Amino acid sequence: MIKTEELDPNFKYEIASMPGGERIKYCFNCTGCTVSCPVNEIDREFNPRKILRQSLLGMRKEVLSSELIWLCSSCYACYEHCPQDVRITEIMGALRTIAEKEAHRGNIAVPCDKRKFDSAFTGSIKKHGRVYEAMTIAGFIFRTKGIGGMLAYTPMGLAMLRKGKLPLLPHGIKGKKQVKAIFEMMHR
Amino acid sequence: MKFSYYPGCTLHGSASEYDISTRAVCRALGIELVEIEDWNCCGALEGSSNKALSTALSARNIVIASKTSLQLVMPCSICSHNLARADVSIREDSRLRQSVEQALGTSYTGVRMKHLLDVMVNEFGLENLKGRVTRPLTGIKAAPYYGCLLVRPSKICRFDNPKNPVTMDNLIRALGADSPQFRHKVKCCGGSLLMGKEDIAHNLSLNILSEAKAAGADCLVAACPMCHTMLDGQQGMIEKHHDVKLDMPVVYFTQLIGIALGLGEKELGLDRNMVSASRLLDSICKKQQDEKMQEKREKQDTGNTDGDMGHPGGHAGGMGK
Ligand code: SF4
Ligand code: SF4
Repeated sequence: MIKTEELDPNFKYEIASMPGGERIKYCFNCTGCTVSCPVNEIDREFNPRKILRQSLLGMRKEVLSSELIWLCSSCYACYEHCPQDVRITEIMGALRTIAEKEAHRGNIAVPCDKRKFDSAFTGSIKKHGRVYEAMTIAGFIFRTKGIGGMLAYTPMGLAMLRKGKLPLLPHGIKGKKQVKAIFEMMHR
Repeated sequence: MKFSYYPGCTLHGSASEYDISTRAVCRALGIELVEIEDWNCCGALEGSSNKALSTALSARNIVIASKTSLQLVMPCSICSHNLARADVSIREDSRLRQSVEQALGTSYTGVRMKHLLDVMVNEFGLENLKGRVTRPLTGIKAAPYYGCLLVRPSKICRFDNPKNPVTMDNLIRALGADSPQFRHKVKCCGGSLLMGKEDIAHNLSLNILSEAKAAGADCLVAACPMCHTMLDGQQGMIEKHHDVKLDMPVVYFTQLIGIALGLGEKELGLDRNMVSASRLLDSICKKQQDEKMQEKREKQDTGNTDGDMGHPGGHAGGMGK
């Protein structure tokens, strides 16, 4: 049940002010995005049209604290199909950026492994300038899947090592300071 | 031909065979690649949620590349998407441009840039490439897998039809192989969900692999390290979790070109693919031998006894190692 007094009428303007969120108000709810979405084919819970509708209605907390906005694979199928050029893929990104900010401030909890991986990944870029694959992936598997998860991935990890596909040391770039400055400016 | 080269992080790691085969094929074709200096990660899809961050990270690489007068070429579909997306966004959004320039501490200058597949097919050209083939892939069925970011969104990458691209199909045919009807050529592999939602990612990739098998493909051809990680690297896990047997080699288009140019297995990093490509290589050799036998028989049938003479230097010795 939607309680109208709990809706945030400003949510759509907040999204539209984010880079990538600009065109949200053009959505006329036709379902073209959902029909073209490959993730929806696998998991019906994930419904981009519904996420847009909820956002336009102002269901801010529901949308931002839901794991669903992290299930978009960024495939741009919906973006290509939308008759209103809403650019849904970019809006999903804008929603995740707002959710990240709110979670950082402790206003919402997002129990989602995908979010954890994304921040481990960008954290690695911030530190080295390039992503340190071995550590980012191993650390993530250990934190989310424990020893059992590590063991399940060990044969593949060893095969990759043998094939020279998994450098064990990070490659730091000279422009690390500049990359850090980019994060400080943009990652707020 | 000379280009600046942005390999991106995975080509220096988990997709090293893509880097190795790109360099080997370009060397063989006389295309010079100059790696840009001190490049950084473009943010990949993990950073793309934050558009401002992703744009600034990509812009740093573009500004570095713009210091040369060369066109920039990228083999990774995610990198090439991110850099092109950043360039378009900066041109369209003056507020974003301002904050990017502030973060970089320099003004933004763009550069001409392309995906490597675009360069191979449209700049080097298929006619040129055909002329360099020494080991035609006759009788091989190679299913072209474009994935998402190589062709979508079409506002950003305009080099082929986003719903039914043909660039890679044409490349495969130019190398002498068949490109079967493959319905899943632009369907998502789920790569960006692998770490957080493995079940969805595996389901999406399984669909593509099964479709390739149903189409009778001898291999899938990829143009993106993430697609390749899903279809090749994760194939064993997918087989285990879904209790299926796939055994489908997945090669980068650069590796396929290299095979047709007569380059060796190691030179193309084929020993680094997780699903062994040796069955594919064997069947290329076998099909070639069969064809020679066939020609010989036909010549004999028509009473021409010197049939052998026209075909010096066969490749019966297998692939160069
Ligand atoms: S396809 Fe476009 S207009 Fe239709 S529901 Fe999706 S976002 Fe809205
Ligand atoms: S970009 Fe996201 S929402 Fe759109 S079709 Fe792909 S997975 Fe679905």
